[in-house]
Amino acid sequence: MAAEKKVMALFENDTRAASAIEGLAGSPWKLEQVHSPIPSSKILSALKVKKSRVGYFTLAGGIIGFLSGISLAMYSGIQWNLVTSGKPVIAFIPFLIVGFEFTVLFAVFGNVLGFLLQTNLPEFRSLQVYDERCSGEHFGILATCPEGQENNLVAFFQEKGGEAKLI
Amino acid sequence: MPAMTYAQVEETVLKTLRPASLKYWAVVSLLFVGILIGAGCWAYQIAIGIGVGGHNIPVVWGTYLINFVFWVGIAHSGTLISAILYLFRAGWRNPIARAAETMTVFAVCIAGLFPFIHLGRVWMVYYMLPYPNERNLWPNFQSPLVFDVVAISTYLTVSSLFWYTGMLPDLATVRDRASGLRKKIYQIVSLGWTGRHEQWRHYTRAYLFFAALATPLVISVHSVVSWDFALGIIPGWHSTIFAPYFVAGAIHSGLAMVLTLMIPLRRIFRYEAIITEDILDNIAKTIIFTGLIVGYAYMVEYFLAWYSHNIVEQESFRWRAFGDYSLQFWIMVICNSVVPLLFFFRKVRRSIPWLFSISILINIGMWFERFVIIIGGAAHDFMPNAWGLYSPSLIEYAILLGSFSLFFFLFLLFVKHLPSISMTELKEGIHQGGGHGR
Repeated sequence: MAAEKKVMALFENDTRAASAIEGLAGSPWKLEQVHSPIPSSKILSALKVKKSRVGYFTLAGGIIGFLSGISLAMYSGIQWNLVTSGKPVIAFIPFLIVGFEFTVLFAVFGNVLGFLLQTNLPEFRSLQVYDERCSGEHFGILATCPEGQENNLVAFFQEKGGEAKLI
Repeated sequence: MPAMTYAQVEETVLKTLRPASLKYWAVVSLLFVGILIGAGCWAYQIAIGIGVGGHNIPVVWGTYLINFVFWVGIAHSGTLISAILYLFRAGWRNPIARAAETMTVFAVCIAGLFPFIHLGRVWMVYYMLPYPNERNLWPNFQSPLVFDVVAISTYLTVSSLFWYTGMLPDLATVRDRASGLRKKIYQIVSLGWTGRHEQWRHYTRAYLFFAALATPLVISVHSVVSWDFALGIIPGWHSTIFAPYFVAGAIHSGLAMVLTLMIPLRRIFRYEAIITEDILDNIAKTIIFTGLIVGYAYMVEYFLAWYSHNIVEQESFRWRAFGDYSLQFWIMVICNSVVPLLFFFRKVRRSIPWLFSISILINIGMWFERFVIIIGGAAHDFMPNAWGLYSPSLIEYAILLGSFSLFFFLFLLFVKHLPSISMTELKEGIHQGGGHGR
């Protein structure tokens, strides 16, 4: 298998970056990553990415939280087993408050966990193929091509209005 | 906001992270002395006993509980600005969201200290945790005090995670402009964020869920705090309007604290182009709204006392306005409901000295609101022979001073070490096509 070469192109706006992404789709080169200082809807549409699945983690967290909160309150009530303020030992209305707080807490844990798992954070290896200007004003596209075609890829990016360099 | 470039936004914000002047460290040291005084007095209280405070029978809940409710209230506007206004797509929140969120995190931490201080025997705090023990003692989850433990810990955890997650892209920006040890530290705390499209895809979704979860949470937390009082039978406390009344009051005081913090921040860090007069104007308009709700709640309490024909309630509210704590009551009414009405005048909303002065007056008024409710209720309940008075001791004042010192100390450390304005959200505002949280 021929060795692959990596080319990083920087664009001053996301319109040009999105146009380059669309152009890459019909090319023999492979799009690896797109870096941007802000979440750009143009770039995400050009990439045709699916909706994030973070929500499933959040939902699962929320359900686990609600059940845990209610169960903890019920278990504590049964252990203590004393009627207070005339309320039954297992009093659902006050326990709903505990259930609600646990729902939010665990949903947030699920949200953070889902976010970290799906983005693979913390992860420091990708900093090696990253241009620091991408957290500032530039939109970066990292693409790979078979060895020998790197000049064509650089020329493609330059034609799209980007500043390209071989990594 | 006047048209700024991404580079200008970065330059303005990153400039604030340069090494601080001697003046800054002098103020930080002064605040640290305030913290030491507060901590010393708490240590003294632990050594001698809770009796060093002014608590007595019948007023067993004193300034520690007032401070607790006050700081929880301050914490509310951060989430209002970062989550509720975000869901309403109020773009003017962007420049102030980070500082308001930070204020929330610090205020909740300080609020959380007060139940510990109030406990007296603080080493027994673990009794609140549900765990198997030889005495078979378990927390009573039907009690609003236990709701409070759950709600405040949840709020602290959620607001801290929201704050940190929202800061990741900015921490990466700081990392990319730093060098040496600073770069390494920011590299770790930014978790290796590179702004990859996959990161943004999940980040924007997670941010939206954070906002959607924090919104009902913030309302629930101060409702739960209000039930600490409303679920008791004490006249002046036992009221169904307490939850919305407390939530509105919390946001009222929080917004005032946002102004108190933003106005000096804007001047010291030359943020005038970012935190514009329009933004301060919008905060002032929101304060009119919350001030009117709070004023309405004060009137409804009187109406309910009159309409109920309950002589104990009627006496309680008569005494509130004309009794031993009438001064505190009128400070509360004037500062919280009358003074904010000045914001109806555009000139006042556009004047920095007026904005700053009114924000301080509201903070004072809101502290006294909690004084009037907590002390007033406990001091003057059903039986005239059980009535009593309370005044805070020097120890309590010192601990109050310590709490304010700790809050401003943490905030000052924050503004010099972390980006106090969300660069990402500002850039999105400039770009207009961003999808933060979509």
